[in-house]
Amino acid sequence: MEAGLQSPAFKQLWETAQSLGNPEIQKWKESGKKVAGYYCSAMPEELIAAAGMLPFRIRGTGSQGTDLADAFFSTINCTFSRHSFNQALRGEFDFLDAFVMLNSCDNVRRIYDHWIRQFETPFTHFLSLPKKAEQAQVEFFRQELALLKGHLEEHLGREISPDDIREAIRLNNETRRLLRQLYELRKSDAPPITGADTLAIVVASTAMPKARFNELLTEVLDELHSAEGITDYRARLMLVGGIVDDPGYVNVIEDQGGLVVTDSICFGSRNFWVDVDESDADPLMALASYYVRDRPSCPRTFGLHEKRADYIRDMIDQFHIDGIIFQRLTFCDVWGFEQFPLTNDLKAWDFPYLMMDREYMLSAVGQLRTRVQAFLETLGGR
Amino acid sequence: MDAKTEKSLERTREDIAVYTSIIEMMEMAPGEMNHLYMPTMKNMIRQSNRIIECIETGEPFAASSFSNPTEIFTAMDLAWYFPFKQAFAGGVPNPHMMDDLEGLDSMAVSSDICTLVRLALYYVDKGLLPKPTVYLGIVEPCDGIVGVHEAMRTHPDWRDVPTWAPDTIYWGDERAFEYMGNEFKDMVRFLTEHTGKQFDLDRLREVVEESNKQYLLWQEHAELKRAVPCPHSYLMGMQCFYQTNFEGGGKPEVTRWFNDLVADAEKRIEENKPEVENQKIRILWFDIPPVWFEELFGWMEQEWGAIIVMDMVSFCPYELIDTTSEDTIFKGLARRVMMDPPMVRQARGYADNFLNDLTRIVRDYKIDCVIWPGHIGHKDGAASVSLMRERCRQLDVPFLHIGMDQFDKRYMSPDEVKTRISQFFTAMGLG
Repeated sequence: MEAGLQSPAFKQLWETAQSLGNPEIQKWKESGKKVAGYYCSAMPEELIAAAGMLPFRIRGTGSQGTDLADAFFSTINCTFSRHSFNQALRGEFDFLDAFVMLNSCDNVRRIYDHWIRQFETPFTHFLSLPKKAEQAQVEFFRQELALLKGHLEEHLGREISPDDIREAIRLNNETRRLLRQLYELRKSDAPPITGADTLAIVVASTAMPKARFNELLTEVLDELHSAEGITDYRARLMLVGGIVDDPGYVNVIEDQGGLVVTDSICFGSRNFWVDVDESDADPLMALASYYVRDRPSCPRTFGLHEKRADYIRDMIDQFHIDGIIFQRLTFCDVWGFEQFPLTNDLKAWDFPYLMMDREYMLSAVGQLRTRVQAFLETLGGR
Repeated sequence: MDAKTEKSLERTREDIAVYTSIIEMMEMAPGEMNHLYMPTMKNMIRQSNRIIECIETGEPFAASSFSNPTEIFTAMDLAWYFPFKQAFAGGVPNPHMMDDLEGLDSMAVSSDICTLVRLALYYVDKGLLPKPTVYLGIVEPCDGIVGVHEAMRTHPDWRDVPTWAPDTIYWGDERAFEYMGNEFKDMVRFLTEHTGKQFDLDRLREVVEESNKQYLLWQEHAELKRAVPCPHSYLMGMQCFYQTNFEGGGKPEVTRWFNDLVADAEKRIEENKPEVENQKIRILWFDIPPVWFEELFGWMEQEWGAIIVMDMVSFCPYELIDTTSEDTIFKGLARRVMMDPPMVRQARGYADNFLNDLTRIVRDYKIDCVIWPGHIGHKDGAASVSLMRERCRQLDVPFLHIGMDQFDKRYMSPDEVKTRISQFFTAMGLG
């Protein structure tokens, strides 16, 4: 299954997703500007951008093993935390001038404890992200953002003005709008882009300046509007779960005939389905509201399962989904428990699903193929 | 009572029967420690009977996670139970454990998550927990706890139970305590609304003043455990936690128990007559105990003269609460909830929380070695092991990381755990 995107713009986005460093980061650094690494889509990267830094979402892309990280982690820690920290230990993130972390999950949050001991990154900061999503939590997180802002100002020796934050919000919202346009195209019977290519684009959005990404994605969208759609698929699938940043994983699914047309994953629609409120007089409050309460949640937040289920239900309807593939990293407790209520929901909706555990780096491809094939058989269809 | 409700009380009634028979046996064969063991068991029976009574009379009751402030429940005269307790039957070997674990295997929850929290969901799924009027969760110390509360809350059988949980943030400073104190004020509003139980600040003050006495005595007991030999076994520390954090928190009879406990420890130190004789190795068991703690710790004592001097359940700041005003009380309760309970204290926040406790305990309690059991549910701890090992190296104290499941013997068998411990003691020249 191939969409056959040929443009240089797409090629650049694809290559960005396949590596950690990229020419855009290099250009950014050469112009004397700084790069801040972070984990997790719940990081308010607008605030980092408002400080004049390039927010770079850390991955383990290209990792060949966890030999270095294994001295710091245990075998019951997920392979994402181990591979990505291994890449850090190998010096793959030496271009970072800052490292900002939040308590995303038990595996990843401990990377901060090791990072500050192993590296001399000039600026490090930790944010406490609430695990509920009510007004008290929004207000608390606004305090946390104010502390981060103050820390950044102290480090950089300059003020971060409300207008700086508003501009970063505007730019990120533009990215969100463009990505939603991309997903909109996938609603058609003949989507012009595969799930794997889409994932590459979303990953690239976290690894280069937003302005440049928006230019490139605009070019890709132009190309897609006139592209021939994909029709040789057996079923329309939705990918649900935690972190997937390797288009190769989606490729394996799509090679079996299941076209991934939407998702609820950490590098996916949850990051851009809703905009940050640009009309809020207090841009920090707008960010706090968005990251704590307004954006589609992941299961680290208590009390929102019904909303998560509604989100999936809505996606199923909007994208005409035939089946759901739920994937989780082994040892991921956050998504491990979500399986239970979600399974109950899917059974109640009488909706086909496949639950799979996986490792961060693409492996057990034969098994993955077999399970996807069997799942597609059960869907019947085209 | 309908069949479903009766089934939900089966295990509760079994617990009562087991503890009642143990107490009867103890009364028939009086031992010198009975006066310290029996009150806790009677307390457990009382708590279980209260739930049955509530169901029979229609009185509202709660299911709550262990680290919500029991003082508020006591002050509101709200009966409650800890839904995870069934997994360890309150301390005696759970006769259903293997069946429960096999049943759990067939549920749509991954087996690499904490078995204890998965078991709680299993009990809800199988109708083995009394359906409460309200359900109070927590969101720390781990991802699993958030997940299980969410799964229990949305379970078809419990979906109509009003649920609340405090947001326990990452920090342990004044701002965090103030925030959390407000969360507990919200909890009182929630409980009042959904149970009809009344809240009286003066009554809460009275309860907190009583629990302050208990914490003061607990601290005294913890300090007495620094003595060599250690006056009491690991069971007393666990009981201290149980007495303050479960049904008895803030009740005068529990204060009397603490007085007896401290008096007994003092007497044993004076007479050089420890509860466990022939102590050779002083251990920091840096976690909660496994569900089969009697078998393992008893073996360690008998085979190696190895005594658990301190563990996560027994160690906390034992801080007292300022009862001057509503704000100081709630802030104090918040501090207690965030800084005292095992795992919530260490695992929430930076890894330094582990390291600081480890350092202090090793130094204060003349620890010969540290054992980190490496429970499969403790992912953050697993990611901190290298830091703990390094700290132990700096402190010149041997460190063992086992890698077991505290609640599932099938993951690593008791024999294998014992072999690892024996090899460790031998290699380190201990005992």
